[in-house]
Amino acid sequence: MKIEVILNGAKVHGSLGMTILELARQNRVDIPTLCYHPDLTPIGVCRICVVEVEGCRTLMPACQTRIAPGMVIQTHSPKVIETRRTLVELMLASHPDVCLVCDKGNDCELRQIAGDLGITMPRFRMKRHYYPSEDAGPHVVRDLTKCILCRRCVRACHEIKKADILAMGYQGFGSKVIAGRDQPLDAEVCQSCDVCISVCPVGALAKREDVERRSYRDCRDGVRLRRTGESKGVPQSHTFSSPHEGEPGG
Amino acid sequence: MPQKLLVLRNCGVIDPQDVKSYLARGGFKALRRVQSGMTPAQVVGEVRRSGLRGRGGGGFPTGLKWEQTAQSPSQMKYVICNASEGEVGAFKDRYILEKDPFTLIEGIAIAGYAVGANKAYLYLRSEYAHLAPFLIGAIAEAEKEGFLGIGGHRFGIELRLGSGGYVCGEETALMESLEGRRGEPRARPPFPPSQGLLGFPTVINNVETLMNIPWVVANGANRFCGMGTEESKGTKVFSVCGDVERPGVYELEMGSSLRELVEGLASAGDVKMVQVGGASGRIVPADKMDVALSYESVLGAGPVIVFDKSRDVVDIMRQTMEFFAEESCGKCAPCREGTQSMAETLARIVDGKGRRKDLKALEDLSAAMMLTSSCGLGQAAPYPVMDSLRYFRHEYEAHISS
Repeated sequence: MKIEVILNGAKVHGSLGMTILELARQNRVDIPTLCYHPDLTPIGVCRICVVEVEGCRTLMPACQTRIAPGMVIQTHSPKVIETRRTLVELMLASHPDVCLVCDKGNDCELRQIAGDLGITMPRFRMKRHYYPSEDAGPHVVRDLTKCILCRRCVRACHEIKKADILAMGYQGFGSKVIAGRDQPLDAEVCQSCDVCISVCPVGALAKREDVERRSYRDCRDGVRLRRTGESKGVPQSHTFSSPHEGEPGG
Repeated sequence: MPQKLLVLRNCGVIDPQDVKSYLARGGFKALRRVQSGMTPAQVVGEVRRSGLRGRGGGGFPTGLKWEQTAQSPSQMKYVICNASEGEVGAFKDRYILEKDPFTLIEGIAIAGYAVGANKAYLYLRSEYAHLAPFLIGAIAEAEKEGFLGIGGHRFGIELRLGSGGYVCGEETALMESLEGRRGEPRARPPFPPSQGLLGFPTVINNVETLMNIPWVVANGANRFCGMGTEESKGTKVFSVCGDVERPGVYELEMGSSLRELVEGLASAGDVKMVQVGGASGRIVPADKMDVALSYESVLGAGPVIVFDKSRDVVDIMRQTMEFFAEESCGKCAPCREGTQSMAETLARIVDGKGRRKDLKALEDLSAAMMLTSSCGLGQAAPYPVMDSLRYFRHEYEAHISS
């Protein structure tokens, strides 16, 4: 059954049961998404994909909202863009400023979306999510400090691997992806498939071998070596007291 | 305008432990009438005509909800009574449950009959756990007297305890919790009348809404329609607290003025502002207290918190946002991050470290949260901040410039 809807002013056709996002992609309209993943059930938690639907009091998540006959949809109205910007700025406000040394680098979807929306410094100031990096497992290294709680890993673990190891724990700002009863993701708990790592949009999940090859610690040591010219492993409390102190050749 | 006792007519009059005292006051007459001489469609029609709307704050027409559930084709249907009264300053449902459980049971049974449900859940918030044995006893008494499930209509009421989540007052989060999962709201549509508890059509109503049902059936929709305003029929129960001399539960006809409730009944003096509807409610400054309490203007779920002139508005807002940051389920980003960011911004302003652009940031954030949050919690959380910025902006500015 064909359904006619108006997408950004143009009449387009979609089929019954299709979501706004699917319709938009079919018509080459790009709606940014974060928690959405083509292989997973949409849950609409990041709200980045919100669009304006005529007659709705709020903006609707494109990944979850199904099209209906005669729907009038605006995917890039000023209101939508402004709101999307605010949301991304809000996410960046609690996200660590470590893009330069993050292994995800330019593959980070959050960073790409922020770039597309022209966001540099977020307007909002707030505390960040801080968790120690976890590398108890043989395979998965987790840095939940970078986690944006999109739940792709939780869904992948449940839907693709059918392992149900990951789940959501705690509430509000303290929400966290947990394994079991918030225990380390070690060999006993995790079967070490790659699924969660492959779907993570940011640098929160990584393969151990990748991390070991180019870890944050190595990078920091590298900086220290370059700055001080001293050998690795010798603690120097004054090393970072001034950014120019101990520059090679300085 | 004095109080008008409709929902609370039996409270303090009957013995809540003794079904006989309820029967002596004409209890279960409405249910008997429904079961003996009315078709489910007639009951739904009566409730629709009465214009009764949800008393939990949303204000959705109850009859329409029932009609949609009744028309959903399914072998299994549920009725849920939402007694997860989590709103800040709300204690009217507790008062009702303590004083008059039988009217509620009667209301639930009528709802079950009208929509064709065989099972009802009474979802009680965990803070009211002390009422559980008492309520189970009341349900058992009603069952013993033969009021639940007669005439071939099997019907049972089961009490379930929540686990202490504010967000579980939201209907879909409540259902998730009932199903044994994390209390997080679901995406809508589908709405509960088509797919609710365990995927079956479900009617979910607030305690006070269901308390109205026996009266509506017994006295007819026309008499109910005669009370209240154009769009808000009947009465409303309020729980008044804060800087008042006589805090407590009051029932007024819809459309009564807020001043009547706050200054007349609760004897408040020197009022600065009133928060109508609890933490997620609207703020009414003292000079606007003549507003009529109705769905058209302000109403909320029933809590009315009064603040006198000694209170600091910005600090109240800080506490309110801290509450939301704590109680946000953390599912959708705007609510999880937004409430936290707002709480921190307000704390900075209270500490005298605020900047002028913080106010702009609060407004931008409020707008985005209202537009994009996935449930009522995140959509309503910015209301108090928006309202206080509108009416008490000078207080924010005083904090910032000092």
